[in-house]
Amino acid sequence: MEPINPYYPIPVKIKKIIPETPNITTFILDGRPIDFEAGQFAELTIPSIGEAPFTPSSSPHDEDMEFTIMKVGRVTEALFDLKEGELVGVRGPFGKPYPLDDFKGKEVFIVGGGVGFAPLRSLFLALLHDIKAYKKIYIRYGARTPKDIVYKHLIPGWKKIDGVDILLTVDVGDDSWQGRVGVVTVILDKIPVDVKNSPTVVCGPPLMMKFATQRLVEAGFRGENIYLSMEKNMSCGLGKCNHCRVGKFYVCKDGPVLTWHDVKDIEEPFL
Amino acid sequence: MKSYLLSQNKLLDFVKELSRDGSLYYPEHEDGKTHLVKFDEKSPFTPNFQKIRTAENIKHFFFPSRDTVARFPKDEVKQVPKSYLFGVKNCDLRGIDVYDRVFMGWEPVDPFYRERRDKIFVISADCPEPEDSCFCNILGLNPYGDGISDLNFTEVSNGLLFEAFTKRGEELIKAYKHFFSEAKGEDEKERSALREKAVKKLSSINAKSLKKDLPARVEAADKKKMRDARDECVECHACLHGCPTCYCFLLGDYKKGKDVERVRLWDACYYAAYARVGGGANPRSRLDERFWNRFQCKFNFFHKYENIYACSGCGRCLLGCSAKIDIREILWNL
Repeated sequence: MEPINPYYPIPVKIKKIIPETPNITTFILDGRPIDFEAGQFAELTIPSIGEAPFTPSSSPHDEDMEFTIMKVGRVTEALFDLKEGELVGVRGPFGKPYPLDDFKGKEVFIVGGGVGFAPLRSLFLALLHDIKAYKKIYIRYGARTPKDIVYKHLIPGWKKIDGVDILLTVDVGDDSWQGRVGVVTVILDKIPVDVKNSPTVVCGPPLMMKFATQRLVEAGFRGENIYLSMEKNMSCGLGKCNHCRVGKFYVCKDGPVLTWHDVKDIEEPFL
Repeated sequence: MKSYLLSQNKLLDFVKELSRDGSLYYPEHEDGKTHLVKFDEKSPFTPNFQKIRTAENIKHFFFPSRDTVARFPKDEVKQVPKSYLFGVKNCDLRGIDVYDRVFMGWEPVDPFYRERRDKIFVISADCPEPEDSCFCNILGLNPYGDGISDLNFTEVSNGLLFEAFTKRGEELIKAYKHFFSEAKGEDEKERSALREKAVKKLSSINAKSLKKDLPARVEAADKKKMRDARDECVECHACLHGCPTCYCFLLGDYKKGKDVERVRLWDACYYAAYARVGGGANPRSRLDERFWNRFQCKFNFFHKYENIYACSGCGRCLLGCSAKIDIREILWNL
């Protein structure tokens, strides 16, 4: 028997629960049960319910691991019933990290939608950790309404950081909303980066991914520089159970981030 | 390769001795079907090594349909007992070959599979009488063990003629050398003749071979044709659960007293919810998409990485199919 059982989740307590939007919550764990790099994901176990894959939203350098999660299915519903101090399990890290070394010296163009900001926040924090190594960091983020924006309390601080450029939009505004209105592509009309040589990273709901990617391709980003988070059904995370296979890739091992170059010939990559 | 002869009158004693070291399973033929049964000194020993592979595949032994793989919050290690599979056929060895690659060749190594592989000794037997449902030949397999297993034997007039493929196979022969005598030229000649006959029979059952560019054809398959082929499918999944090379699984968590038990369960890509994600999107919501995906997996994806098809030609899928869909027809027509 191997000393490490790849199916065993490491038990860890929930330290803090921060509601972000009506259906999105950040769960801060008491410590970092596993080391990971930005872009890698973990399987989060809700005892006796099961597990599901999530990419951490905290920096790989943070002492505590965080996940920002939307309530959508059986596992997340059970997770939202848990309270601070209760136990969950973590297995991982799985998949490949963002190739940060390739991003160095370049402008990094990050595009997010809805809860898709969660893994992008981990990437953003990892970039901030070594911010001088990158030319500039752009974030373009869209949410359904102002209420649905995640990290509302953090964004104003991020906007003030030198070398960071953040634009937000909402599909539908309200009285308090002063910013742009429209789906995320409305803030992709002007892309102030060297598109031929810059990496761009996209994560969000399927439709948003589809249209944002289309726009980025049109704008001139190279296929191999467009990094896309793939949402697939996953069970083992080890590249064995076969659930997440798409074309010749196991999203859990070869992903969870694949490039447009990798997936463009796959039928309906964003379903 | 050196051959060792075990005369028929020593077979029972040999099996008896092996079974004292670990449970031994051998094929028995009953009511038109062959099953692997556990050897029991108190029951009559009536093996049948002539008939084709057993009705059930042998993946249960290495990859049980329901297997506890972790306990939470405190994990517990369980031991797998030693056992012997005596007289399994080469099509089922293809299954082991596929699993060896998935569970041990691809990182990380699955400790549960590896432990079973270490603890289970595999002794294969020639398959001298292929039947109409057999098509191992078009997958490039022989109707006899030629690797993968620890030992293989051929039933010849003078007894069972053994060959060893692994070090532990050699060691087993050495450890039980009092049962074996040196094989004679005539035994080996008879083995060659029996094998030739079986190969010929397979060629007459499946005259057409698979097209060389099958993976590309599967990838470019006409969905309409695929739909026609699966029209009768009632989604019983017999083809997948009976398949010795299918390795899909799902992890399920169950309460066990105060603790939680994580169980690895066989899954099948024909289930409608197989690829559905938390948010509800499903890339293969239609049956024809799932039907096509099965062929993609076995004849394109796996081939790309391992240069073999994840199919053994055992024929369990076509015999088990409620709609009598013959996988060969689909492959030949692509």
